Amino acid sequence: MALDLGMPILVVDDYQTMVRIIRNLLKQLGFEEVDDASDGTAALARLKNRKYGLVISDWNMEPMTGYELLRHVRADEALRTTPFIMVTAESKTENVIAAKKAGVNNYIVKPFNAATLKSKIEAVCGA
Amino acid sequence: MPLAKQARKANSSPDKPSLIRELVEIADYIAHLRNEIAALRANELTRDRLPMAHEELGSVVAATAGATNSIMNTAEEILGLPDDKNYRATVEARMNDIFEACTFQDITGQRIAKVVEALHQLESRLSRFASAVKAKDKGGIDPEEVERRVRRELLILNGPQINGPAVAQDEIDALFA
Repeated sequence: MALDLGMPILVVDDYQTMVRIIRNLLKQLGFEEVDDASDGTAALARLKNRKYGLVISDWNMEPMTGYELLRHVRADEALRTTPFIMVTAESKTENVIAAKKAGVNNYIVKPFNAATLKSKIEAVCGA
Repeated sequence: MPLAKQARKANSSPDKPSLIRELVEIADYIAHLRNEIAALRANELTRDRLPMAHEELGSVVAATAGATNSIMNTAEEILGLPDDKNYRATVEARMNDIFEACTFQDITGQRIAKVVEALHQLESRLSRFASAVKAKDKGGIDPEEVERRVRRELLILNGPQINGPAVAQDEIDALFA
């Protein structure tokens, strides 16, 4: 299955530079529909208003972390199937295991490169 | 004549009451404590070194943010260039902007070195003081810190590891294979 380059993607990160980096990488991959949110709470509000084909989220944010956002998404009937990739500096095994248990589709540790992001999106969203 | 010396002189004969000996010991200890407090140079730390560290770290954050923005602006500009005969010349000119933006590293390195030095000073003075007065940590942690710790634990907020990722991307990939 080919990637749907028209699918909206939500990038969640409290660090605007990282949002900009991911946005540019996604643009290079051909994705044009990219929204962003600065934490889990803002992301949930966006997710209620638009159907996203993928969420790419940081872990460590205030007030709502990416881990909490993931659990909210998976607990919500309307959102639970939304593909979710965690992109984070939280690299301990306990973090990866917890995210996997909570239903994350893939996990990228920072710093990362375009090829890693591309391969994870392909793994999660088809191709 | 200082109180401790007077008391010591008055206490020179062994038949003096032990109360005076104890007072002498207390006076000695207080004098020792005062010396150690003075050696902390707390006023210098709070007036000069700590504000300097705050200021230097603030400058580092601003400089890294400024450089990152410059580099990203340039990269975005390059990505948007038309594929015409001027392409190479324009890219080369923009590359110089990136090199210039990278000069922040030299200055921020020096700023951080000053902060590290201030922290070393603080550490050695506090450590000397704690050992001189035989200080023991007492009491619980303040409630705000308890709240922060509980949140960190519940939400597994470990932060970046000192020597790079604790688990490599390959190992993570294996978990998701």
